[in-house]
Amino acid sequence: MIEQDPDQELVAAALAAAPPPEVSPSFLARVNARIDSERPGDDAGWLQLADFRTWTLRLVPAAAALALVAALWSGSDSSTTPTSSSPSPAVAQTFTPASAGDWQQDVSGNAMIEAALTGGDRVR
Amino acid sequence: MDPDRALVEAAAAGSREAFDELVRRHQAAIVGLARVLTSGRGDAEDLAQEVFVRAWKSLRAFRGDSAFRTWLHRVAINVVRTSQSRTGRLLQMFTATHEEAPDVPSGEEPVDASLARRQMIERALAALPEELRVAVTLRDMQGLDYREIADLLGVPMGTVESRIFRARQRLKPLLAPLLERKE
Repeated sequence: MIEQDPDQELVAAALAAAPPPEVSPSFLARVNARIDSERPGDDAGWLQLADFRTWTLRLVPAAAALALVAALWSGSDSSTTPTSSSPSPAVAQTFTPASAGDWQQDVSGNAMIEAALTGGDRVR
Repeated sequence: MDPDRALVEAAAAGSREAFDELVRRHQAAIVGLARVLTSGRGDAEDLAQEVFVRAWKSLRAFRGDSAFRTWLHRVAINVVRTSQSRTGRLLQMFTATHEEAPDVPSGEEPVDASLARRQMIERALAALPEELRVAVTLRDMQGLDYREIADLLGVPMGTVESRIFRARQRLKPLLAPLLERKE
């Protein structure tokens, strides 16, 4: 063992003979005060990190900010570029919700394609 | 047999008196360990208090796989390292003295001989790299055996032996006055 080396033994003995540090007389009282001051909810320690409620509450501001940004962005997008997001009149006429009635089982596929391409009358 | 076992069981059941006795038994060792781990920067007692607060909160989870003293040392190392990781980066940014020995007034001999002895040892330990300082402190000042230290640090026992050997080699010239007195 390394203790059999005389130099190693000397150093080990010197360290072992080090006087213990002086501890404040109020050490125990301060430990107890800190324990008493801990809230019961703090007992969770690291497990508290896994508490989804904690994370949910902490993420509320970020989620609200993201929602606000998304709302502002979508609002400005639809108001500033109406032509890019609105269908042309012909397409609107063809594919308006009102033409949902066109989706009838007795309408052939070819007739629907023709109506869509020509912008003609609705298929009946 | 763990000499603290009965007290630990009572404390885990909620006895503050039993826990107080555990604090009295181990406070000097934990303060001493904190002083060495922090290189005597002055917050050792605060950190040692935090160690006992954590120990109280975690006592029910202590299963007795190791001696209470060993477990307490593990808590202490974790507390000190957590504290150092929080403040270490800032300290290293603004000071260049993090690897230096704690300040001791030069040219002044401390009146108390035991205080002088302790200061010399702490200064010598502070000159070591942390991994050597921790290993040799746990072995020679705290009295843990190699297996306990290996488990505590999560390294092989051969690594512990190597660190302690190298630490003592480096400490020998730094502790020469103390060694000469013994010879």
